[in-house]
Amino acid sequence: MSESIKINVNGNQIESAPNKLLIEACEDSGIHIPRFCWHKRLDPVGMCRMCLVEIETPRGKMLVPSCTTEVTDEMVVDTESEVVKKAQEGVLEFLLINHPLDCPICDKAGECPLQDQTMAYGPGESRFVEEKRHFEKPISISEIILLDRERCILCARCTRFSDEISGDPLIEFIQRGNKTEVNTFPNEPFKSYFSGNTVQICPVGALTSTSYRFKARPWDLKSVRSTCNGCPVGCSTELNSSQNKMLRILGIDNDSVNQGWLCDKGRYNFEYLNSEFRLKTPLKKLDNEFMETSIKEIYTELSDLISDSNTNINFLIGTNSTNEDYVAFNEFAKNFPSTNQTFYLNDDYLYAGFFEKGINRATIDDLNNSEAIVIWSEDLKENLPVLYLRVRQAVKNGAKLIVFGHSNSTLKDIADFYYSDDIVSENFEIIKDISKLKGIKEHVKDKNVTAIIGKSTPYQLDENLDKLVSYLVENSNSKIMNAFSSGNTFGAINNLDNVKNLRDFTKNVSAENTDLLFVVGSDPIGRSVFSNEIHRIIQDIDNVVCLDLFLHETSELGNYIIPTSSTLGEKEGTFTNIEFRTSRIDKLVPSPGQSLSDWEFISGLSNFCNFNNNIDSLDGLNELAYQDFDDQDSPSFKNLDKPSNFDGIINDYQPNISTELNENLTSKYFVGKKLYGDNITIRYSDSISLLGAKQFIEASESTIEKLNLSSGECTLKQNGHNVSANYVVNNKLADGVIFIPQNRRNFNRFDFSETIEISPNQSKEALNVN
Amino acid sequence: MSWNDSMIKQAKKIIKMYPQKRSAIGPLLHLAQSKDGYISDDSTAVISELVGITEVQVKSVSTFYSMYKQEPTGKYLLSVCKSISCEINNSKEIIDVVKDFTGLNNNETDENDLFTFEAVECIGACGGAPAMQINYETVEGLSSENTIKLCEWLKKEQPDVIIAEEMQDNFGGTKSFDWAIKDQSGTTGSVPGFQTFNTTKEKK
Repeated sequence: MSESIKINVNGNQIESAPNKLLIEACEDSGIHIPRFCWHKRLDPVGMCRMCLVEIETPRGKMLVPSCTTEVTDEMVVDTESEVVKKAQEGVLEFLLINHPLDCPICDKAGECPLQDQTMAYGPGESRFVEEKRHFEKPISISEIILLDRERCILCARCTRFSDEISGDPLIEFIQRGNKTEVNTFPNEPFKSYFSGNTVQICPVGALTSTSYRFKARPWDLKSVRSTCNGCPVGCSTELNSSQNKMLRILGIDNDSVNQGWLCDKGRYNFEYLNSEFRLKTPLKKLDNEFMETSIKEIYTELSDLISDSNTNINFLIGTNSTNEDYVAFNEFAKNFPSTNQTFYLNDDYLYAGFFEKGINRATIDDLNNSEAIVIWSEDLKENLPVLYLRVRQAVKNGAKLIVFGHSNSTLKDIADFYYSDDIVSENFEIIKDISKLKGIKEHVKDKNVTAIIGKSTPYQLDENLDKLVSYLVENSNSKIMNAFSSGNTFGAINNLDNVKNLRDFTKNVSAENTDLLFVVGSDPIGRSVFSNEIHRIIQDIDNVVCLDLFLHETSELGNYIIPTSSTLGEKEGTFTNIEFRTSRIDKLVPSPGQSLSDWEFISGLSNFCNFNNNIDSLDGLNELAYQDFDDQDSPSFKNLDKPSNFDGIINDYQPNISTELNENLTSKYFVGKKLYGDNITIRYSDSISLLGAKQFIEASESTIEKLNLSSGECTLKQNGHNVSANYVVNNKLADGVIFIPQNRRNFNRFDFSETIEISPNQSKEALNVN
Repeated sequence: MSWNDSMIKQAKKIIKMYPQKRSAIGPLLHLAQSKDGYISDDSTAVISELVGITEVQVKSVSTFYSMYKQEPTGKYLLSVCKSISCEINNSKEIIDVVKDFTGLNNNETDENDLFTFEAVECIGACGGAPAMQINYETVEGLSSENTIKLCEWLKKEQPDVIIAEEMQDNFGGTKSFDWAIKDQSGTTGSVPGFQTFNTTKEKK
């Protein structure tokens, strides 16, 4: 710890680290200085002047903005003097000159910093009698964000966020002086994956989101702290509900994980909870039609089926369950020796990973402390968005960024070395000697390195990653982060004894060796690259039990459908993130109808079958999950509920992945996932449902020329299956690489290992016969 | 890209003069303005691509400075000085005369896209006040009568090229002093210290 210096604030000595900003030093010592533009995670700009304080200088007392002044030894500060008060009143009077007093109809009212600070520090009345400036009230600057420029106080938090943090500055100040406004370029909407954060940090009601607008007043909201289970980053969230409906998700500043930010999918993908299409009662298929039934009847029928311990059972498990759910399944499966405790996880990208002893595991914070960051994984921005923000932050702090492959093209602009084309082949193999690459020689060898390693596409062979990782382990002080990208994957691989991927499912599971298949919260037919094979397999199996929120392409094949509670806000439990940090998932709203948590269903079934499992309570499952750890370090509910552990507890798990090598698996295409897809939950979340609907392929300009495309549209054809799609020019992709997103409607029916014919669309006139 | 090759070439030359690409936005905006007379969205997009930032960031710069025109101007941009020296020398009358003649208020363009009128801050011709600029070409020592004549000449002849010396000879009065920067094209150019970017056409 570096030495601290002493400063005098309002007559009290406080200690602070040197070079800290005055406003931050005061905040840490419990002295609040009002502010609008300053935000802990953004660079200071000193725009709003609300944080003026008096400091003593050789030339007497002086007003300075505390957000741009660094503390110095023996500094004497006054934050409450008459002069400061007068300055604050003045600033607020100026800010309110053009700010409409429409608090009664403003969504921010009740949690509005401007409102609060006007009450606390304001002048009480205004001397301004002239007309306020007017703008068109709210304009939509993207599909999900609305902007009311009259309310804007020009603090530049949103524009600075989009420039500094997310790196997509699509909003800026336009005009000057009294006419200044925040806006986008005409016809260039604020299309950012992180736009929701600007709504959260806006200190007035200028930025609002379509999903929360006019839905509730802040003082009516019930809230709970939870963890986002959208991807393995596991951002800390605050869930808000009113009248038992989930209405809003906010990011919580968890210093080691998300630092207050969330991606828009994590923030807005919740409306499906209130969807009218949610399953509410258990269903049973009779003559190809679903009939409502009771859970007891399903229990009875299933227990008849599985009374014989020779019943062949298989599990296809989704990544949206809690750790406790996984423990319940694991215990339940122990009653069936034939399963070998094998669980097929609903993930194309899962592979053995790098978890052996001797390989150091990276935490997200390690990115900031390393000299170089090596990335070879799926597109971080699309699949682990907040990790992408942390990588950007680390690069800004001076880490060298070395990116392999075609998948992370969004990092190309900030990468010091971007190895594609001649170094990484179209099949995602490194074709050059790694040790001879300039970036590796200069910045990786014998340095502190954090590597984010994962499959770029389901078709990438495991051995390609081995080469890079073994070089890093041998030649540098490296820490490896395994970049699996779906939900609670890390909870699953910790708590299930034997985890395999979807490819293994297609190879190992068939109607002959399966009497009963449990499909838990997964829609592999809707999104997997092995969709067709899985469809064929599940169709032939006699008894399929689906636990899900909705009827979708996979659950429609089930014989028994159990409505389940969503892990988002309807369940309690724990979640394990990419750095093996376990944190709390909490319940805020009731689940609809007769929905059950996964573990509740399994526990009930277990009791019906008279199995002697100890899976009857959530606390019991939680204890079972962490029984191997010392009481102090274990992420049990008891420990996680201590305020010091709200950010989660990192543990040293040994994951259980037993995927088979994906030999003989190739694709001519770069297949990957986009943030918004045609997933069932997004489809039923109204405000973002259209964002994942566009069907498209991506390639560089020259590749598109080679394909002879010209009209902006093309048709993908394979074995009589036609899909019309747009093509998007992405010149960051290497020549010859064609990106096809797998999470688009009807794209799942393609077999990407075979050739897909891509031809220009016939023009509309030609199609229009009349 | 809506810019032709020679403009792109010029732009690249400008960008090379700066250690950071985005520092070239200012002169590039002048280049854009010399092409269209204002900063079009097309030009903004081209500049953003050339310097590697987003369109709205370029727009933020171009709207901040009031001399980057956001709207197309007429064929002749009449900028009458309203700053202190000219005001003392009765620029108000000149402004009224121009307003009367064109029927335009400040920052308006007529129906025929012939004239745009604006009253501007100091144009650096205090010694020869009152002064005005036609398409950024200065004419000094104006009187009301000469101003009307000048406007009539513009309306009647509609010359393609405006040259300061010609106007000065025909309509001007007392001249402050010889303009410091000798410039073949007849103007000091839009950015002193840089080559001119076609704000006026070459002298024939």
